[in-house]
Amino acid sequence: MATAADFCRLKFMPLSVNSPFHHQQQHHGFGFNYSNKYKFSYSGRRSFRVNCQTTSGVDSSSKVSHSDLQLAAVVGKDRLSKVPTSNIRNFSIIAHIDHGKSTLADKLLQMTGSVESREMKDQFLDNMDLERERGITIKLQAARMRFMYENEPYCLNLIDTPGHVDFSYEVSRSLAACEGALLVVDASQGVEAQTLANVYLALENNLEVIPVLNKIDLPGAEPNRISQEIEEVIGLDCSNAIYCSAKEGIGITEILNAIVQRIPPPHDTNGRPLRALIFDSYYDAYRGVIVYFRVVDGTIKKGDRIIFMASGKVGYLSASIKSVADARVGDTITHYTRRAEQSLPGYKEATPMVFCGLFPIDADQFPELRDALEKLQLNDAALKFEPETSSAMGFGFRCGFLGLLHMEIVQERLEREYNLTLIITAPSVVYRVNTIYGDTVECSNPSLLPEPGKRSSIEEPYVKIELLTPKDYIGPLMELAQDRRGEFKEMKYLTESRASIIYELPLAEMVGDFFDQLKSRSKGYASMEYSFIGYRESELIKLDILINGDCVEPLATIVHKDKAYAVGRALTQKLKELIPRQMFKVPIQACVGSKVIASESLSAIRKDVLAKCYGGDITRKKKLLRKQAEGKRRMKAIGKVDVPQEAFMAVLKLEKEVL
Amino acid sequence: MLKLSFTPLSTTFPSKIIPPRLLKSITTNTLSQAPQTVRQNDTTTSTNTPQHKLPPKSAYIHLPFCRKRCHYCDFPIIALGSSSAPEEDPRILNYIQTLCREIKATSLNSNPNPSLETVFFGGGTPSLVPPKLVSLVLETLSSKFGVSLEAEMSMEMDPGTFDRGKLKELMELRVNRVSLGVQAFQDGLLKACGRAHGVKEIYEAIDIVKACGVENWSLDLISSLPHQTPEMWEESLKLTIQAHPTHVSVYDLQVEKDTKFGVLYTPGEFPLPSEDLSAEFYRMASRMLTDAGYNHYEISSYCRSGYMCKHNYTYWKNEPFYGFGLGSASYVNGIRFSRPRKLKEFMHYVELLEDGGVNCEDDSTDAKDLAMDVIMLSLRTARGLDLKSFAKAFGCELVLSLCKVYQPYVESGHIVFLDDKLKTITVDEYSSLLSDDRKMSEVPAFLRLSDPDGFLLSNELISHAFGVVGS
Repeated sequence: MATAADFCRLKFMPLSVNSPFHHQQQHHGFGFNYSNKYKFSYSGRRSFRVNCQTTSGVDSSSKVSHSDLQLAAVVGKDRLSKVPTSNIRNFSIIAHIDHGKSTLADKLLQMTGSVESREMKDQFLDNMDLERERGITIKLQAARMRFMYENEPYCLNLIDTPGHVDFSYEVSRSLAACEGALLVVDASQGVEAQTLANVYLALENNLEVIPVLNKIDLPGAEPNRISQEIEEVIGLDCSNAIYCSAKEGIGITEILNAIVQRIPPPHDTNGRPLRALIFDSYYDAYRGVIVYFRVVDGTIKKGDRIIFMASGKVGYLSASIKSVADARVGDTITHYTRRAEQSLPGYKEATPMVFCGLFPIDADQFPELRDALEKLQLNDAALKFEPETSSAMGFGFRCGFLGLLHMEIVQERLEREYNLTLIITAPSVVYRVNTIYGDTVECSNPSLLPEPGKRSSIEEPYVKIELLTPKDYIGPLMELAQDRRGEFKEMKYLTESRASIIYELPLAEMVGDFFDQLKSRSKGYASMEYSFIGYRESELIKLDILINGDCVEPLATIVHKDKAYAVGRALTQKLKELIPRQMFKVPIQACVGSKVIASESLSAIRKDVLAKCYGGDITRKKKLLRKQAEGKRRMKAIGKVDVPQEAFMAVLKLEKEVL
Repeated sequence: MLKLSFTPLSTTFPSKIIPPRLLKSITTNTLSQAPQTVRQNDTTTSTNTPQHKLPPKSAYIHLPFCRKRCHYCDFPIIALGSSSAPEEDPRILNYIQTLCREIKATSLNSNPNPSLETVFFGGGTPSLVPPKLVSLVLETLSSKFGVSLEAEMSMEMDPGTFDRGKLKELMELRVNRVSLGVQAFQDGLLKACGRAHGVKEIYEAIDIVKACGVENWSLDLISSLPHQTPEMWEESLKLTIQAHPTHVSVYDLQVEKDTKFGVLYTPGEFPLPSEDLSAEFYRMASRMLTDAGYNHYEISSYCRSGYMCKHNYTYWKNEPFYGFGLGSASYVNGIRFSRPRKLKEFMHYVELLEDGGVNCEDDSTDAKDLAMDVIMLSLRTARGLDLKSFAKAFGCELVLSLCKVYQPYVESGHIVFLDDKLKTITVDEYSSLLSDDRKMSEVPAFLRLSDPDGFLLSNELISHAFGVVGS
């Protein structure tokens, strides 16, 4: 039985006797799976076990003593139900990207014996290939640990959260399910923009925040200075901040103790009608819909008949729920017979900020692309898509994303996990076009912008950005923001050497290389955070691109009229670099209306011949030719011209001087 | 223990393709007992024997020895250094013995077996091998397969590696075609690419070839060498024409990854000529040699009438051939196989072969692969792809798609279609065919790359056809 404020994972099972998990069902109870062998699953692709028993395999050099380990092992074998609500701690870790959040999570799992060391690998919770490769966390993750504190078993529920600004939506979801948070700050880097954003989110949620200074083993670490900075910038008392090195295993026990001591237990609301908040769900091909939820009020046990308050779908905990859509993230679960009166507040709906077209290179892959997008959407609520048709590209989808990283991640997942070959068009924001007929049209696709004669004005989304930077880079960063049509709002010194600069600028100017520029102009030291503030009217025009005389819709872009010439010039130059030379001369032009404002031409290939098939050995040559043919297949034929994927993103890669 | 696995690089082809008999001018009055169909020597095609299943009538022999490695070379060679005399070098003798064992151990599938019509000694520098050892190889070939009295027997020879006596000896062994590796007529260029000879040795070699009365000889050049100027290239071509060879090969320098040039240079960048200049070198060769009466019969080959290299032509026709020696490729029974490029592994391979441990699996490869081979090989020739026989082997649909995919390139003059009378189909005529599938599959009989524009872009053009075949 799970009591109030505990975390659970619901498993909605198909009722087949031949289920591959039959044995397990008997072992752990039908359909409701939490026990000392807490089975932890994620993303429908892979599952692994988090054994809550500790083991001989733990590194002997670790800071946990042998007797502690033994104790932990005993605790691990205890049934969770023995842990009263007052011994439950729900917490998450918030940090700026790269400040060591995932490493700390790894260490916590290891130290509590939640993961056996032979199963341990770095970034344990980042189990998407992409997460490991990029070293980032994309999806929130949950894990349960047992911990002995003063001879009492505690249950610590950790939700790992993404650090990147694109995924703050996921962060808000995880914070809403906790009472406390570890604020991890790199002891050499200090407070960064996302640290601020996430810590404010946490404080808004009334979480107890425990400051942790990580990476104290690094030579450049200045934990004292940085804790002072935290106090000054965030206003958080750092007198009992914990100094740690997750990598070296220093300070981990102190963190665990602090979690128990300082984070309040959840309110005991066992008597109230059940309310459980779904914070993640996915579909597992073998086991049906798996739901992660937090019991906020009341209790739940196997066999209970429940209802999803928003969707109204009814089920038993052991029932098979066919679609993830029925168990929407943010929905509240309650008992069928004893219903709660009000559902929990849930989560703010994620609003996509950036849109792009996704087209399969092979038109036959269109249905596969649709299926893949639908599947991804199941556990990525922020992903939006609708069909789009283009004369140049054929059938595809216009998709909405939280930001550029999100877009890249989705693209990579589609290509890797679903084996699709895609052309992605340059991202665009959503414009609002006021027409002469008095209505307003939303337009996220430049090629569909109403004609000049039909529009009276165009509005574009603006964001407020906050840049945190060492003072040496204030100049270059202000220049950058100014170049991007930014409107200066405020600058203040957080400490003697670090400043916060606030600008308001069009979102469209941030889509693209803004973040890269920020990093390169500040030698990597600056960080940023942004939030949407509303729409403003701007003098915008559509820039068309003609390749070999054909207008290429996906290359059309909406620009401020003062920038049209510079962008046109830069874009044609960039396309000239990106499009491989063809067998004939190819003119590339940028036009506003019918007026050509910039023009380049791609010279013809002069020579592409392999002189000799030596001794009749044609295999190597044939391989080359096949590769060449394959390269052509991966390009999109626009008229007679083969255009590679990169060209469709050219607008993002323009040199900074021209913008 | 000694088991090595040699994977055939390419395997059998199920369909029966009968390539056109191209060499009208060359008569092959062989005395061998080849099947009737093989010996038909007209343009009609025979339909009853899968061509690639016929026993080979050509053999390539790899003689890998060189004084030193040239800077552009990535062939399997064995550098001897300049100290020892080849006559006494045990490495050569050992190799030749292994080579002969390989020939002997080769299984013969057909009975009766036709005599060889062409033998090609390539290298390396085959002219470094003492004639008595060459004789050993030829004797082995003769007793194994028989060598036709009229056989074309070519040998690659480098200036400075042979004298009159040696060439005479080789001619007595019936070597009747010399492929002279001149490469350039400028000492500076020869030195820069690490050749072991200078211009003086070139003239001496030409004199020896002529004095010995070798009627059929090729002068081989490389264009786009580092520091090569148009003036130098023009000079080389002029001197080549003055030397009156019956055949000229012009190879555009390929910068290979694991060579000295590959490390030092990037194609198209100084000191290598720019792509434009390199293309111009190709045009110059085509223009000057054609004006001097040579036929540009293949991308990199020119000849006086009747002096095509018969051996190389078997490659372009996708006909079978044996390959013997280090790193050599063979195409027997529809299987392409490349031997190990390292001497030790090659020795091993021969041992396995003798033990019957090498068997090339006869699993069928799809027709697409075969179609690609036929396209890439035949489009190297001036005659081009025979659409009629191609249609027979691979279907009219494919031919129709090929005819259509090349539309822009017919218009741009890179691709030429010919009718069955070998008359060029004009762009207008072609355009009218586009709307009529029936006529499009009937009228064009050959598809070829134009000279020089189409030849110069052969990879690009052939890869278009690959795209059609592959889809």
